[in-house]
Amino acid sequence: MRRGFNFPGLAFLQGLVGLALFVWVWHLIVASGAVPRAFLPSPEATWNAFVRGVTIGDMREQLLGTVLRMINGWLLASLVGIALGSAIGISETLRNYLRPTLAFARALPASAVVPVAIALVGLTPGMVLGVIVFGSIWPTLLATVQGFAMVDPRLVEVSRALHLSRFDFIWKIGLPNAVPDIITGMRLSLTVALILAIVGEMLAGQEGLGKAILLAARMFRAPDLYAGIVLLGLVGLVSSYGLLLVERRVARWRR
Amino acid sequence: MSGWRGLIVPVVLLLLGEAAFRVFGYVGDTLAPPSAIFRGFAEAIGDGTMVTTTLQTFATVLGGTVIGAAFGLVVGCALGFWNLLYRFTYITIECLRPIPSVALLPLSLMIFGFGYKMEIAIVGFATAWPFLILTYSAISQVEPRLLEVAKVFGFGPVGTAWKLVLPAAAPRLMTALRLCIGIALVVAVTSEIVSNPQGLGHELMIAQETLRPHRMLAYLVLVGLIGWGLNNLLLWLQTRMFRHRGEVDTEVAA
Amino acid sequence: MSGKSGSVVIEFRDVGLYLGGKEITQNVEFNVRKGEFVCVIGASGCGKTTLLRLVSGLYQPTTGSVHVDGKKVDGPSRDVAIVFQDYSRALLPWRTAAGNVSLALEAIGMPRAERADRIHALLGKVGLAQHAAKYPSQLSGGMQQRLQIARSLAQGASILLMDEPFGALDAMTRQSLQDEVLELAADTGATVLFVTHDLEEALYLGDRVVALYSNPGRIARIVDIPLTRPRNQLSTREEPDFLHLRRELFGLMEEIHA
Repeated sequence: MRRGFNFPGLAFLQGLVGLALFVWVWHLIVASGAVPRAFLPSPEATWNAFVRGVTIGDMREQLLGTVLRMINGWLLASLVGIALGSAIGISETLRNYLRPTLAFARALPASAVVPVAIALVGLTPGMVLGVIVFGSIWPTLLATVQGFAMVDPRLVEVSRALHLSRFDFIWKIGLPNAVPDIITGMRLSLTVALILAIVGEMLAGQEGLGKAILLAARMFRAPDLYAGIVLLGLVGLVSSYGLLLVERRVARWRR
Repeated sequence: MSGWRGLIVPVVLLLLGEAAFRVFGYVGDTLAPPSAIFRGFAEAIGDGTMVTTTLQTFATVLGGTVIGAAFGLVVGCALGFWNLLYRFTYITIECLRPIPSVALLPLSLMIFGFGYKMEIAIVGFATAWPFLILTYSAISQVEPRLLEVAKVFGFGPVGTAWKLVLPAAAPRLMTALRLCIGIALVVAVTSEIVSNPQGLGHELMIAQETLRPHRMLAYLVLVGLIGWGLNNLLLWLQTRMFRHRGEVDTEVAA
Repeated sequence: MSGKSGSVVIEFRDVGLYLGGKEITQNVEFNVRKGEFVCVIGASGCGKTTLLRLVSGLYQPTTGSVHVDGKKVDGPSRDVAIVFQDYSRALLPWRTAAGNVSLALEAIGMPRAERADRIHALLGKVGLAQHAAKYPSQLSGGMQQRLQIARSLAQGASILLMDEPFGALDAMTRQSLQDEVLELAADTGATVLFVTHDLEEALYLGDRVVALYSNPGRIARIVDIPLTRPRNQLSTREEPDFLHLRRELFGLMEEIHA
């Protein structure tokens, strides 16, 4: 699906004007007093809290904590997901045996395993990492399975007509066919990993932005809370667009 | 359909779990054998909590999805029809969309306190964006030929939207709805686990905290079954509704 | 090139095929000799593509047998190359034109050092030398089909199966590709089995035309085409024999379609 960021200069400018308008309306709403400041701080207050947090506050460490937690879990999930997904995607027998089990595991909200993980290993960093890996593995794993399994039947015939060995078929046709799917899956996995990193911090009290915004809300420090939300939004934005760029680059043959 | 083979793995896993408990005689407060999980199901259905909490979570999922989808549909249509509006808002949308829904939990809790409202607000936020994006892309990908047909027949904007564009986009909107309900369930259960004291997620947490693993695992299985069942039900509906068009896209990544 | 006196390389011996309980072909029996260019025509659903798949070993007959070079076909062979109609699906979209040709060379185990020259020569043969670095999605339909032909030549096969290769192309591209294929066949001495639903194309290209009935596919007629070679898009199509055969087979085709 293509969307956004396809327009040249003018549209980008219009988009920025739109964003500025959004912030201005936000400012007007707060200034009018229609919404209590305890719930909606002004953009200026949010900005100030953000600057304070990043310069003299703990926000940098918290950001690092959250990002590292997310990336570690995501990398581990990607590694395992691609390995398992390739095996399952290549073998139709394996697919037949595992299909319902995978469908069930995918449908299980990842956060629902948090209580089980807590029961098993307690409120430890390992628990959070485990939950992130378990939760974010599915998009990558399933996309890998699909990428390997959905080779055009015509290409299967071509490789048979050319007498390609099974290894060559996997290496030269299966894998390149799966790569764009794998990267799409990894992009979705990263989003899930961020969410679970935040959930993990909130529940297990690990240092990070998730815990920070929870504390800010408890103490009714709305500007700090909003600054944290904005920063988390930025993390989501940057990670998602970074991988989108990789995706487009790798799949340039798709034009 | 070679469905029986798919059942082997779960059955073997269940039997292995049961056997492990029987052989090693493990009695603890973190895990429970499958037989105990069945007992957990029976208990939770018997004392009525399973039905109550399931209904609570369902209500949230439904309420949140209705609000999110309505917002997404209206805004997505508007953006699809008026390109200028799209140009002025797309950066703002792209900035708001990646905010992880759980990051709004503390905010929503602060504003609404515990209860349905805070959870529905988050579910609404989480479902609005995918629905908006999928609506927009469904509408902007409507065959231009159809719009020419509309011009030839002299339909106004409303007539065009109602008679041509929305029906043409309907299969994709149904896909969007299915994805959003899946997201809604995840977000609802997550909110309940993290803070909101109601619904299936909270019940899972309570079972863990009161050291009743059989009940906790029963709820875990239930949550999985609900997610799996909802997805399959909607997929089945979608296939039934749009079979004649031969264009049910089951694998849209959002 | 009149290869009609050569040895038999493809034999259909009373071939019948059922797929999913449906009878696709019935009692198909004919031979193709070395260097011959044989066209198969028929309405859609008459199983003409199936015949190619039987020769290439992608399908196995239910009754009877198919023989290539005297040996019963029991699986794909490197000596049989196939050009599919849907070129966009049959090329690897993630490989450049050169990479796609290379796939066939890799399959026959040619060392990397020798491939580059061979690829260049093959792409040159089909007029794609300047497009070696382009991806299939950047090539026109005609160029993609040329690329598929280059890939099948790379295999070094002596039998070339072509499945409505020009069906999706415009008239001008189709005519020039027809002449190129005739030239390539003459140069390499390859035996060609060419499936089409276009009667004039079949007459223009073939030494013989095999016409099929539909449901199930079975042989309606086999006609020799005594037109001189090399053929020419203008003069060949004006030859009395061409016009005569066209009239004769046109009636048959109508009967087939009925």
